[in-house]
Amino acid sequence: MCVNKCSVIAVVNNGVIQKLNPNPENPKSRSMVCARGNAGLQQVYDPSRLKRPLIRVGARGEGKWRPASWDEAFDFAAQKLSAVKEKYGPQGTLWSSTESFQEVFFQNLAQAFGSPNLVRHPSLCLASVNLAYSTTFGTVPSFDLQNARYIIMSGANRMEALAMPDSVDLIDSVSDKKARLIYLDPRFTVTASKADEWYPIRPGTDLAFILAMLNVIIGENRHDKEFVNTYCSGFDKLAEHVKPFTPDWAEAETEIPAKDIVRMAREFADAGHRAVYYAGRRSSWYQDDFQMRRGQAILNAIVGNWDRLGGMVPNAKVALGEYLFLPWDDPKAPRVDEVEKNFPLANKGDGSYLKLRENVLAGTPYPVKAWMIHKQDPVNSLPDQAKTLRMIEQMDFVGVIDIQMSDTAWFADVIFPESTYLERQDPIEVMSGIWPVVVYRQPVIKPLHDTKPTLDIAQGLAKRLNLSQYFDYTIEQWVEAQAKELPLQMPLEHLKKHGVYVPPGSPKYGTTLNSEHRFVTKSGKIDLYSERLQEAGYDPLPVYRQPAQPPPGRFRLILGRKAYFTHGNTTNNPWLNAFAPENHLWLHPSSADALNISDGDKIEVASNVGTVRLKARVTQEIRPDCVFMLHGFGKRSKWQRLVAGVGAADTQLLETAWDKVSGNAAMHETFVKVRKV
Amino acid sequence: MAHKQKRYALLIDSRKCIDCKSCVVACRAENGVPLAYSRNWINEEHRGAWPKLQAAFEPEQCHHCTDPACVRVCPTGASRQRPDGIVVVDDADCVGCRYCIIACPYDARFFREDRGVVEKCDLCAHRVDRGEVPACVETCPSKARVFGDLNDANGKLRDVLAKRNYRVKKPEAGTGPQIYYLL
Amino acid sequence: MKTIEWGFLIINYLFLGGLSAGLLFVSALATLIQKNAETDYTRIGRYGAMLAPWPVMLGCLLLVFDMGHWYRFYKLFLHFRWLSPMSIGSWLLMAFSSVSVVYFYSWLEAEQRERLFSLLPRRLRFLHFLNRDLTAWRRPLALFGLPLAISVGIYTGVLLGAVQSRPFWNTNLVAQMFLFSALSTGCAALILGLLWKSKELQAGEIRSLYLLDICFLFLEFFIVLPYVIHGQLSVQAVRDSLQLILGGPFTFVFWVFFLGCGLLLPLAIELWETVPALLSNATNHYGKQLAALSALLVLGGGFLLRYVFVFAGQMSSFK
Repeated sequence: MCVNKCSVIAVVNNGVIQKLNPNPENPKSRSMVCARGNAGLQQVYDPSRLKRPLIRVGARGEGKWRPASWDEAFDFAAQKLSAVKEKYGPQGTLWSSTESFQEVFFQNLAQAFGSPNLVRHPSLCLASVNLAYSTTFGTVPSFDLQNARYIIMSGANRMEALAMPDSVDLIDSVSDKKARLIYLDPRFTVTASKADEWYPIRPGTDLAFILAMLNVIIGENRHDKEFVNTYCSGFDKLAEHVKPFTPDWAEAETEIPAKDIVRMAREFADAGHRAVYYAGRRSSWYQDDFQMRRGQAILNAIVGNWDRLGGMVPNAKVALGEYLFLPWDDPKAPRVDEVEKNFPLANKGDGSYLKLRENVLAGTPYPVKAWMIHKQDPVNSLPDQAKTLRMIEQMDFVGVIDIQMSDTAWFADVIFPESTYLERQDPIEVMSGIWPVVVYRQPVIKPLHDTKPTLDIAQGLAKRLNLSQYFDYTIEQWVEAQAKELPLQMPLEHLKKHGVYVPPGSPKYGTTLNSEHRFVTKSGKIDLYSERLQEAGYDPLPVYRQPAQPPPGRFRLILGRKAYFTHGNTTNNPWLNAFAPENHLWLHPSSADALNISDGDKIEVASNVGTVRLKARVTQEIRPDCVFMLHGFGKRSKWQRLVAGVGAADTQLLETAWDKVSGNAAMHETFVKVRKV
Repeated sequence: MAHKQKRYALLIDSRKCIDCKSCVVACRAENGVPLAYSRNWINEEHRGAWPKLQAAFEPEQCHHCTDPACVRVCPTGASRQRPDGIVVVDDADCVGCRYCIIACPYDARFFREDRGVVEKCDLCAHRVDRGEVPACVETCPSKARVFGDLNDANGKLRDVLAKRNYRVKKPEAGTGPQIYYLL
Repeated sequence: MKTIEWGFLIINYLFLGGLSAGLLFVSALATLIQKNAETDYTRIGRYGAMLAPWPVMLGCLLLVFDMGHWYRFYKLFLHFRWLSPMSIGSWLLMAFSSVSVVYFYSWLEAEQRERLFSLLPRRLRFLHFLNRDLTAWRRPLALFGLPLAISVGIYTGVLLGAVQSRPFWNTNLVAQMFLFSALSTGCAALILGLLWKSKELQAGEIRSLYLLDICFLFLEFFIVLPYVIHGQLSVQAVRDSLQLILGGPFTFVFWVFFLGCGLLLPLAIELWETVPALLSNATNHYGKQLAALSALLVLGGGFLLRYVFVFAGQMSSFK
């Protein structure tokens, strides 16, 4: 029901799933199941689920479908894809997906087909923070919140945007007063209510705060000198760089009092190895986000919390076997988002979704005319919905693999209904982290409807695309090959019985803290100063640029989460929808008064790319210069009856912008007008 | 050795409650409660003036009181208290007069229109009898809830209650509620 | 989740139960007081007896259909739980109904009995053995009926008053308040009954009923007053609950309609009709319209008292 994929044990009576209980053996999911996990069975028994393949009749978006056999659906899709390949080359097809345990088969199909254009969700989410940390440390670490003693978070509303085990560990550490939490957020979220200190920081100024922290810590010589000397590179340049960023200067930028910045810097440094500046997960905020996260990484580095108890720990993994399938040739054409050229340091496999869309709309560097989508809802999830719809219009073919009639499926030409996670066998997965675990997902009931797992769908398409030789295996064979490498007597039996395999020996701290270890960075050490960035033409040390402020009469639209929804795909789940049947625009009372808006009034919200209407929620729990709305409402798909046309879609308002270095979407750069209607 | 009578109770650390609603959905799934009703709920309190704001969340359900008014007023005895303290409703004997709903100081009970009987949290007695904990306790991400036996001198409840200050809700109603909220 | 569980079915039942209790009480009182066969009280006794069983039976029907499982009502009689006012009440109503029906029967004239039994179908003719003159039973039944009527009148108040979680109800005055209101509605119903049946008002009857009702209304008034005054001097929860009638949604209904029109106005009318005559020792001609008016006002007041209490009580709670 979300990316965490907590382990559950299904209680099944007479072939009907009654309940999903937590599997206490998975250390990552910390023996719990949240509201979404509990509501998982509603996904299976959803009467408006996709139950059989559908082919569009009528115009795209009209919602007229006819049921089709799998053969017909496969034939249709394959014929369309082949036609596009014929005319535009395999690169004329776009394959977008969001992480799932069967995503690998979709991606393999795309690659076997010869298309370089695979795009996933990271450039809508965490591409900037991941790139920032890997640029600094050579890898993206996890945070040991269970043992940290001083935690600073910019946004990262962990108590509503549940990420495991971070959320559970944070709640535990903070509520039992083991750790002190400093939380910066323009919104008074649940995390703010539990934090020791909350600052309604001016949006986009977190880097100023971080630079001032560095200024104080380095200026007062409170950093971990031994660690810096042994493991870091470029400290002198850093020390020089942060000299001008005084707490007073930062106060003017951030609205956080200078004396508090000084105090927090000292407290942070004093907590030493157990002080962390939490990286956050979704970092799709501002166009300068990468540099802010770099600042965080540097701050973490100089207090020496790397690979230590209570600090940042590189992820431990478990080696799985691989099923050796026939390899295909690498695609010949370059990616349509020209990621090497536009974002040379970004992860090439993930690309930049928004840049990709721009190029596809412009038809450069070449046309893309077919779009296959797996477990993703670009129409509801990409900023600037109007552009996504135009992109669909340009397509000769749109095919969707999904469980429910998403907004994107609503505009597709053919829909392949996938079996839900409770109805299918998935590949074994490793969840890396401080407590790595191997998870095994087996079906607990037979598929309720005429649905198939993505592997079967890929195989069905492959057959008609003459790619069968790359998919000539069953899921069982795949899984068996994976399981063989596990250090167990009878690995599959163990996994079937326990659902997980927990390798012994975790958590491990300090595995990289030795002279032999070479960090995967330009210097071989932790790059405080990054030559790699400099060579690519970016600031090697974070340079603060004042973020644009909303013009008078406008507000910055910011986004966030609620603990009982997973982005956009659970708002139609009746058990979860009951908690928030519609979304509202949060407005500070002073802002609302100025516009003569009362709580519950219908209002119109307009940005440069769209206008929506929804109700106002007048609350003190947000900065006066910001507004907020929850994601996943105002849907177009009429099959999602609870949220179709209810509330409003934030993506209709969000403007296209991206972080300069990573190409990650920048979703907090939209300024909106609000008026009462 | 004499088998000591168990007395079950709930301990809740509201500081840990993040209003994630996991307990509400878990209860719904475990007990087949239709959407129109809820056996448990989260009370919220928002206080303060910008920028000094506070928010607090407090889970609540039937308190399984020591002197339950709902049991006392029931004309047929359908509403009864087990020896282990769990207050239950025997559907077969409930006539649906709803006197108990009115008598409860916590508004923990509700009337099932579709079944013509009164319903409420029963601490997942069916799970407890199997040696498990109530669904809400098991599922909570914050581990804000502790379920145990008050009569167990070495048990978790007594251990925590000895170390921490706590309060109960509406003690002035005089029913002897048994959800202990840690302070 | 706070809900209003008891509504108009229960309000009507409480009113009708109280009405029957009042009718039986006044009839029994009249029966017990009269020395010889032909006095002013005979008609009061008879009419009260004739009317008493029916309102409560209708009320019980409403009660049963208010239940979630109406066909399980018999379960109430499989248990006797003396701590549950509802359990005690069920048994009381059973007893009251039985006694009031026999009492009714004892007041039937011979021809009325004959007519009644002639309606029996042939199969049930064997029941003719019940066709007996029970006149002699009147006084013992009245004696037995008096405490039963008081119990039923009080119990409707206890039903509410015993609920500790509803501060609006949980006072020791509620039982008496409902009792005297019930007895007063009984008087009022009898006044209407007499008006209906006869062209002329018999001065003696009306005077007795008026005087009785004045007593009941005074008693009721001097219970309502301390209920409000002492409630306002009580703990927070009680004071908060009283806000429902001191500025809250039931303020107007309580003070203007219930207390004003339903209690003080009929009290004034009745005082006006009786006191001057009492003081000057003259014979009075009692106005029919005024009698009807005061009776209707009392009945309305009795209903509204229960209306306000049932709703307001369920809206009150400990914070």
